[in-house]
Amino acid sequence: MAKSIIRLRNVRKIYKMGSETIPAVGGVDLRIRQGEVCCLFGKSGSGKSTLLNLLAGLEKPTSGEIIFNKKHIERMSEDHLASFRQQYVGFVFQSYNLLPTLTALENVTLPLIFKNVPIEERKQRAMKMLKAVGLEDRAHHKPQEMSGGQQQRVSIARAFINNPQVVFADEPTGNLDTKTTYEMMDLITGLAKENNQTLVIVTHDMELADYADRIVVLSDGKIESITERTTQEEK
Amino acid sequence: MSIKDLLDMALRNLLKRKLRTFLTILGVVIGTTSIVVMVSIGLGMNQTFANQLSEWGSLQVIDVYSQNSNMYWGGNDEESTFEGEAPKLDDAAIAEFKLMDSVEAVSPVVDMYLKMQFDKYVADASIRGIEPAAMEALGFKVEQGRYLNGEDGKAIVLGADVMFYDPKLSWEMVYSTEPPEVYPLDETVEVSYDWNLGTRDADKSIKSTKFEVVGITPSGGMDGWSVYMPIAEAKKIQEAQLEWQEEMWGSSSSSSQKDKEYDRVMVKVDNMDDVRVIQQSIKDMGFRASSLTDQLDAMNETTKMLRVVLGAIGAISLVVAAIGITNTMVMAIYERTREIGIMKVIGASLRDIKLLFLTEAAFIGFGGGILGALFSLIMSKIINYFAMSQGGGGFSSYIPVWLYVGSIGFATVIGILSGYLPAQRAMKLSALSAIKTE
Repeated sequence: MAKSIIRLRNVRKIYKMGSETIPAVGGVDLRIRQGEVCCLFGKSGSGKSTLLNLLAGLEKPTSGEIIFNKKHIERMSEDHLASFRQQYVGFVFQSYNLLPTLTALENVTLPLIFKNVPIEERKQRAMKMLKAVGLEDRAHHKPQEMSGGQQQRVSIARAFINNPQVVFADEPTGNLDTKTTYEMMDLITGLAKENNQTLVIVTHDMELADYADRIVVLSDGKIESITERTTQEEK
Repeated sequence: MSIKDLLDMALRNLLKRKLRTFLTILGVVIGTTSIVVMVSIGLGMNQTFANQLSEWGSLQVIDVYSQNSNMYWGGNDEESTFEGEAPKLDDAAIAEFKLMDSVEAVSPVVDMYLKMQFDKYVADASIRGIEPAAMEALGFKVEQGRYLNGEDGKAIVLGADVMFYDPKLSWEMVYSTEPPEVYPLDETVEVSYDWNLGTRDADKSIKSTKFEVVGITPSGGMDGWSVYMPIAEAKKIQEAQLEWQEEMWGSSSSSSQKDKEYDRVMVKVDNMDDVRVIQQSIKDMGFRASSLTDQLDAMNETTKMLRVVLGAIGAISLVVAAIGITNTMVMAIYERTREIGIMKVIGASLRDIKLLFLTEAAFIGFGGGILGALFSLIMSKIINYFAMSQGGGGFSSYIPVWLYVGSIGFATVIGILSGYLPAQRAMKLSALSAIKTE
């Protein structure tokens, strides 16, 4: 069995809304393996997005341990988390989250700017990444001049530019049509497999599950089942 | 994040909202201008004083008197705590003054009132016997002809306002008629202690001394009423006068002359900054000393309050501008919440976020400071133009270089301070909730 890159131990997340407490994630134990495509599947309100945020260090658990590469990210300070994300993690969001005033190329370069990569090197790397997602001719367009699919490609390029160990994707195809969805999934899983990167996808779309090595089904903040898929079929 | 990227990104963010950035900068421009102009008026006032005082002599000259001199007029004398026997203001003391650092020239002064005759006219002359070589250094002015120099013997520089009159006329006549046109430059005048010089009552036993007029001072101020001659000649006349007085009235001469003590010694310091120091060390030696710098200090002290008030009025508008910057930056955070969140998620450190907002605020301050300095320059010119057209009257604006540099620096610091709170706030935004903001 491949070694695990993230381990969750009895992780709970409880939101407080006034006097009411809402348990979003209740006692989850889970291992994410190095290099796998793991799909967190569930209906809305099942706690899958919260779980993703916890895995990525965007939120702190109420209790439990989250160990990423032997490091307890639930104990990290904000500053630590920032450099941790910079080094190990990439994100793809449902709503792309590109900066509207920057061009595609600049959006892809942004993580490298925060990492202090010299300007020539980061331009080259960003251009290479845009080529990999098939958008080299759109490098100098702003997000609003591009289709949803194109915008999501830019955000995928941005997620992968830092060579992260894990890429988290939160409903990456939620705003896209079926054809584009398949293109996007081919692209993102292809990129991840190429460099043996781990991919964690949150979705409620059963079609996406076909791309996964493992499917974790969540319901009411708890793991309902884990399905192992030994071989990955090409679509 | 490198400084270049930081500046680049901050500038782009500001240019994205041109109107708002412009309006915020405008506030800083007004604030900076009001401070600079207000301060410049205060400084202009000081400069006008200094100019007015310098008409009365050099600001770098200290007048030294002995403790028992009755000529001392230097204001309050609280510092004169010298006890014991008063030192003599003699040649030995002068030699000591000459050895002090920053002392450029020293001259004893013999003051006398004598009669002067030119052609058929006479004048009452306030004679100042000085070291001829030091005349120029001591800050006296000559408009026509030349200064006295070390080789001069019987030469004088005549005050432009010294009034000649016909001694045969009665006083009423002198004052009711036009003064005669007398222009004795390069001519010879006679100087005497005989107060009846040029009249029928003139004392034949008194020999007058002939002097060549080598220069004429400008009109106005104290210089215009004086007649300068080499001190050696002045002493000769003084001694002759004393002997004559003894013969006439048999009175024993005042001891001070015999002891070769001077009434007054002028000390020229080679720069303004050291005047106070030298003046104090002369006082510490047991002499009394005064300079026009005392007057300047006193004047500056009186206007200090006014300058503080002017500065405060200017400062208020800069405070308003600072609030404007804070407001703009806080609004920018609301607008850019999502952007901040995205940057945090993709690896911007807390420091990066904070620096970005501080840099933007600093840019507003810096830009406002530069434009404000430029605008102040224009305002200052306008003020001086109107002040001149109304005859000067002591109201003017003066902006030294340090005020320009200081105001730009100050505006930048104000920008950074105003941006601090918003930057702190941006830094603390939770990445996740920021992203969720649609």
